[in-house]
Amino acid sequence: MAEKTKLIDVSKCTGCRSCQLACKQWNQQPAKQTENYGTYQNPPDLQSNTWTLIRFQEIAEKDKVKWLFRKDGCMHCTNAACVKVCPSGALHYTDFGTVAVTNSLCIGCKECVSACPFNIPKYDRVTDKIYKCDLCLSRLEADLIPACAKACPTGAVTFGDKNAMIKKAYVRAKELGGDASVYGDKFVGGTHVIYVLQEKPRVYDSLPDKPSVPFSVIVWKDMLKPLALLAAGGVLAGSFLHYILHGPKLPDEPGKEEKGGE
Amino acid sequence: MRKGLIQATDGFERIVHWSLALSCIALCITGLGMMYQSFNFIGGLMGGLKSLKYVHNFTGVFFGVALYFTIRMWWKEAGIFSMPEDLEWIRCAGGYLWHVDNPPEVGKYNPGQKMFFLAVAGFGVIMFLTGLMMWFPLSFPPTIVRLMFVLHALGFVVIFAFFFVHLYLGTIGSPGSLDAMLTGWVSRAWLKKQHPKWLKEMEEHGTLIVYGEEKPAVKAHH
Repeated sequence: MAEKTKLIDVSKCTGCRSCQLACKQWNQQPAKQTENYGTYQNPPDLQSNTWTLIRFQEIAEKDKVKWLFRKDGCMHCTNAACVKVCPSGALHYTDFGTVAVTNSLCIGCKECVSACPFNIPKYDRVTDKIYKCDLCLSRLEADLIPACAKACPTGAVTFGDKNAMIKKAYVRAKELGGDASVYGDKFVGGTHVIYVLQEKPRVYDSLPDKPSVPFSVIVWKDMLKPLALLAAGGVLAGSFLHYILHGPKLPDEPGKEEKGGE
Repeated sequence: MRKGLIQATDGFERIVHWSLALSCIALCITGLGMMYQSFNFIGGLMGGLKSLKYVHNFTGVFFGVALYFTIRMWWKEAGIFSMPEDLEWIRCAGGYLWHVDNPPEVGKYNPGQKMFFLAVAGFGVIMFLTGLMMWFPLSFPPTIVRLMFVLHALGFVVIFAFFFVHLYLGTIGSPGSLDAMLTGWVSRAWLKKQHPKWLKEMEEHGTLIVYGEEKPAVKAHH
């Protein structure tokens, strides 16, 4: 099956949060009451039942204020740190190249929470499981586009074949000019959610400049994991060879002990 | 028990040893179930991988307690090298790997055993502390938690490999050794071969406990 990609063109986003609502609706996630702390951004962060969120940022420019809206959520990495660390296979790649969660397999170890370079998976204390966007896998399997893309009234969120979307993103970034750039296709093997950013990536709140699979995850999963079995296997083989070549250390038979100590 | 056998360990030592050993084995097995997806089936024996997680975590607490007693009990005897004889022993690997005519006489613990003790004690503490933080990862910054996973995996590499060395040398690699941790009573011949210096020390200090003979007035150790 062809790899799919979601393109988020932040320059077209009006912060209406239709995507946020559509996500909750399709995935049947109730809202939690939150407190107003002086921003339109609500809830304050991604939650176990809020898988996508418009981040509101105010940027002061000379005598006026500029708004930045960024739709945050799972980036669906090709090299996903969360899939790498997941002990149970709950987090897995789909045929669309996206990363989905099989909740019945999740054991609530939270390893993915600290491994994710984008800080996406959220833990729910009540069910003792983690949750995140699965790019509406149930819709993709039914040949529908994700709820957020369906709901977006401005064309800021679009969905399609990976290569077509990347191409579209570069055309749009060129059109915008200035600091505009494409974000996502160049790291962690290429993400299946890509942005057209109007500002430089580091301007955006909670968006890592150069995300990567953490080095510690590579050491742990690609080096120490095989080494553990190799070392133990080596010791077993060594012990066997020791036994058949050198022989065990036996006490001297009574009466045949060397006199005066060894 | 047979007349003439010598007491090498007391009941407290054996209980602490087996508390540590059995919890360590349980932790290795359950840990394997989480570290390798091909071992996920181990979770099935406990009613699922989620139950396995709890078995692992709470066994870890028990391991921590056993480790505390282990270190408190053995660090003086097995945690400190006595130079230069230990260095000499290491140079010839105690005669374990190639033929050595007269390997240095060994006391209660040989340097190999000391290294094993230090590895278990050191990495055991690391396993306990990192494991505790991995249990509550949301209470610490992600960069710290990520490092904990690396250290925990490194500790597993060391302890898992050392476990098999210990298993071999505690059983078929050194016949007679297992008795020291099962009944606590060993033969004089074994003691003379494995720990001649210790045997001499106990004889000199009058702390040698021989089965069937009257107990010495002086208590053995601790």
